[in-house]
Amino acid sequence: MKILRLSIFNLKKNKKEAFVIAFLTMITTLALCIFIANNSKSDKIFEESFKASGSVENLVIIEKEHYRSAYRSILEENYNPRNFSEISLVFGAATDVIEPDGNTISYNLLFLTEKAERKVESFNQKEKLSDEEISGLSHPIWLPVYFRIVKGYKLNDTFTIIRGSKEYPFTVAGFYETGIGSSDGYGYKCVVSEEDYELFTQIFRGNMMAEYTGFAFDTDGEFPYNEFIEKCENTTSEYLKSANIYHRKNLEKANETQFITIFLLLIVFISFVTLIASFVLIRNKINNDIEDQMQQIGVLEALGYRSKEISLSYLLEYVISGGIGAVLGVITAILLTPVQNNLIRSMLGREFEGYAEIGGMILGALAVILAVTLFALLKARTVKKYPPVIAFRKGIKTHSFKKNVMPLENCKGSINFRLSMKSMFQEMRGNIGIAICIIATGTAILFSLMSFAFFKDGTKGLESMMGIDVDQLAVSLVNGADAEKMREEIMADSRVDYAMITYDLGRVNIPGSDEAGSTIIYDDFKNTRIMVPFAGRFPEHDNEIMISVKRADEEKRSIGDSMVLECNGVKKSYIITGTISSLYNGGSGVYLTSAGYRRVNINARPGMLYVFLKDGVNEDEFSASLLEKYGGSVKDMAKGGSSGGTLYDNLSAEAKEKIAVLMSQYGVSSVDYAIRIGDELLTGNSRQFAIKEVRSWKGMIKSQMEPIADATKTGTLAAVILVAVIVAVILAIIAASNVKRQRKSLGIMKSMGYSSKDLMTQIALKIMPVMIVSMIIASVVAIYVNKAFWYVMFSSIAQTDMLLIIAADIAMVIFAFIVTYIGAGKIKKISVTELMTE
Amino acid sequence: MVSSILKTEKLCKSFSNGGVQQHVIKNLDLEIREGDFTIIMGASGSGKSTLLYALSGMDKPSMGKVFFDGTAIQDYSNDQLAVFRRGNCGFVFQSIYLLENQTVLDNVLTGALIVQKNSPELVAKAKELLKKVGIKEEGWKKYPNQLSGGESQRVGIVRAIINDPKILFADEPTGQLNSASSTDVLDIFTEVHKNGQSIVMVTHDLKTALRGTRVLYLRDGGVVGDYVMKPYDEDDIKERRRGLTAFLEEMGW
Repeated sequence: MKILRLSIFNLKKNKKEAFVIAFLTMITTLALCIFIANNSKSDKIFEESFKASGSVENLVIIEKEHYRSAYRSILEENYNPRNFSEISLVFGAATDVIEPDGNTISYNLLFLTEKAERKVESFNQKEKLSDEEISGLSHPIWLPVYFRIVKGYKLNDTFTIIRGSKEYPFTVAGFYETGIGSSDGYGYKCVVSEEDYELFTQIFRGNMMAEYTGFAFDTDGEFPYNEFIEKCENTTSEYLKSANIYHRKNLEKANETQFITIFLLLIVFISFVTLIASFVLIRNKINNDIEDQMQQIGVLEALGYRSKEISLSYLLEYVISGGIGAVLGVITAILLTPVQNNLIRSMLGREFEGYAEIGGMILGALAVILAVTLFALLKARTVKKYPPVIAFRKGIKTHSFKKNVMPLENCKGSINFRLSMKSMFQEMRGNIGIAICIIATGTAILFSLMSFAFFKDGTKGLESMMGIDVDQLAVSLVNGADAEKMREEIMADSRVDYAMITYDLGRVNIPGSDEAGSTIIYDDFKNTRIMVPFAGRFPEHDNEIMISVKRADEEKRSIGDSMVLECNGVKKSYIITGTISSLYNGGSGVYLTSAGYRRVNINARPGMLYVFLKDGVNEDEFSASLLEKYGGSVKDMAKGGSSGGTLYDNLSAEAKEKIAVLMSQYGVSSVDYAIRIGDELLTGNSRQFAIKEVRSWKGMIKSQMEPIADATKTGTLAAVILVAVIVAVILAIIAASNVKRQRKSLGIMKSMGYSSKDLMTQIALKIMPVMIVSMIIASVVAIYVNKAFWYVMFSSIAQTDMLLIIAADIAMVIFAFIVTYIGAGKIKKISVTELMTE
Repeated sequence: MVSSILKTEKLCKSFSNGGVQQHVIKNLDLEIREGDFTIIMGASGSGKSTLLYALSGMDKPSMGKVFFDGTAIQDYSNDQLAVFRRGNCGFVFQSIYLLENQTVLDNVLTGALIVQKNSPELVAKAKELLKKVGIKEEGWKKYPNQLSGGESQRVGIVRAIINDPKILFADEPTGQLNSASSTDVLDIFTEVHKNGQSIVMVTHDLKTALRGTRVLYLRDGGVVGDYVMKPYDEDDIKERRRGLTAFLEEMGW
């Protein structure tokens, strides 16, 4: 009974601490419950959605130009495919689309007919217009539900595709559940009418834009894709690695769920941090309670209470406060289920019915209560160290004392500083607990802050990791166009800062590697703006090459190694001069000088311009004006013919059509014409047909990463704030309990003339070395965590913004000083006279 | 003419106890002269300690004024009072109140370094004073728990006088000491006073009171008796005792 009374007394006496422990336990439980509830949920949602879509598990698509019927035989004979079908589809890389809000954004899109779609999956439409309404549409399109959930599209919205200088408006006729090929970066699958599909086969021509033949099928177990491609290559001597795309269920799932996994890991880490924080607080409080009640402990022991029984009195209050916190955590987690579901829905881009994993949550809460109880029990067992006599002497076992650290005799500067350092050394063991807590919270804050800073300007951070100069517009020229002349003309535009000639983005074979190399060619890499080698340097000579960090790591290649490239049967060796972080094409980029590229691709002709615009020039407006001037489609013109209008218009159209025919049918590269009509002279040239497409990397990154960037930005900012609040609460509580514990000493010092400010400064200063050392360790840990994170998630190395880390460290240390100083404000309430009359 | 170092005007101090006001000091007008060894005596609950705290700036009066060297201190904030104390006052407590986690020398220097910068002279002075009160060099590195009560109180006195305060306050400094230790401690006070130190001491012990030069007797929150003596002289002890005893008997002690 006495034990229970002591326990309730402790709980009542330290209401604030009990509240904070309950709060921390609540956060721990909440975070753990969110993890438990959603960890399996995203997998489950994907599986359910996949099942509902009726999708096959594999879709291998091969460029029609490279397709041979032997491939199908190889597949059917060797891999026993089930539910097999062969379909046709069009892949449009980095296709510009005008969004409902008027912004232009680039997507990798796959187009297929409903008939083909039904061979791949069951075309399960979640929402659609009526058949009557659809039949009234000239260009209907069915989009994956992703566009409805993440991009906010609605039925009847216009989905306008831009190719060349032309816009192709479609009307959204429905949203359908899709299994594969929807979000793995290689194309959102769009279903269009037979007529529109035909149109796309004509307008999507170019690098990675073409009609493909697809094999849709299921297999027993994992399909050995690389083996299959190799067999195909060996059979037909075609180089296929750069001409096919493989969609598969597992990759789709991994891509869709990876960011949810990151978030959940972050949440588990926060749960861990708050648990550590509550441990530190419990430790601090139990130590204080035992110290305060030492003589009472002695009395109880003298009366015959066993130390185990006394320990229980220190345990019960944590079971109560931890239990309340855990219950509140579960309730909050359940209440927040709709919010969590919305987040997951938008991150997965899939519909699902919400439910709460109450069983798992309760288990999580019990685990938290158990952890808190066990830790409290462990600490409360300290009572064992104090038999009655020692307890009566207030825990002083012997009259031996440790060495006098930092004697005041040698004090050089401020006495407040000296006394705080002295006290810090005297409480070294307690500081270790605080240090662990600060390292954990500091790591969480710094990692979250680095992620927030990275995504704070949307996808801008990612641009630096793409491994390509995203600042540039990639202008693809039509075959035979005079690249040098085009460069000069574009350079003459006042909006252009710089333009350089390069080669169209292509692929080369790398013998011994499963992954072809995506070529990135510069005359001189000094002209790059954003790209920075991770290690080594850019290639300078024709026998040098730079590769991605991912390739270097996966293929065990190092700077100084030689590497063979193969193109059209020509093999050349290159020396690796450097590595670069590269998200471009999954880190498959190989970086060569123009001369170096020509060694392996003898017939290569420059077919692309990189255009860097001056600051402030609108990329979209510039692209539009460029396409208007140079981007006439030869095919459109040849098919379109003249259409009414004035004599001048008609003649001009006729002339353009003639040029189009000359260029497309006879390979003519340059034409000038002049027609006299009375006194008027009508002139023109073939320059209008010089540009095939203008590609914006920024737009592409935006379409693929913006929703993730936004979610990460919000999530990490919330994490920074939450953890900072936890740090503040812990430091303030520790400072306040320090005041309580050292009440007598502080009172004595007050009587000597130390002001409250002096003593508050001492308490705040005392935490500073712990804070500084912990933040340095946290910085190192956070840098490694950040690097590991980026490497695992994106096969890329994040550049560390040391300035940000140093600034954050300084801010944290100052923050800790202020919080502790304020937390120690209780000193003001200590009256010297009260102390003396105690 | 000896100037006053402390002066009160209509000083009142009351406490609230369970909603009931208790007036401990009532409209007290008092003057403490510089160089005096003033003893405050009275029955338990007469307000001795309360008066000491009010005079020393440890506590604020409920009403009235306290002048220290002509400056009113009753309206000072707590931090202003702390600064005032560090420069002007020394304190010796009945419970001694040494800092338990600091050595003897550090206890003394903690009191000193808040007032003055560290210097070899200051450290030498602290050591010299410790020696003077009988704490030898081997004791300087000891912690309070390793000292006897008398030794601790002697360290307490050194800590109180290290800054050469204008006035030294002592609240029953021998209350927890045995007879031999008490005498040692009182001898130190006498010695300090002889060197010109103003002292205000609360006690209910006759032996201690004999060391003073002036005895104020408190009853019901007011000074009801004021007895002046010559500076302490061992040869004169019988006469001194007789006079003081008579005064105290008259006061009803």
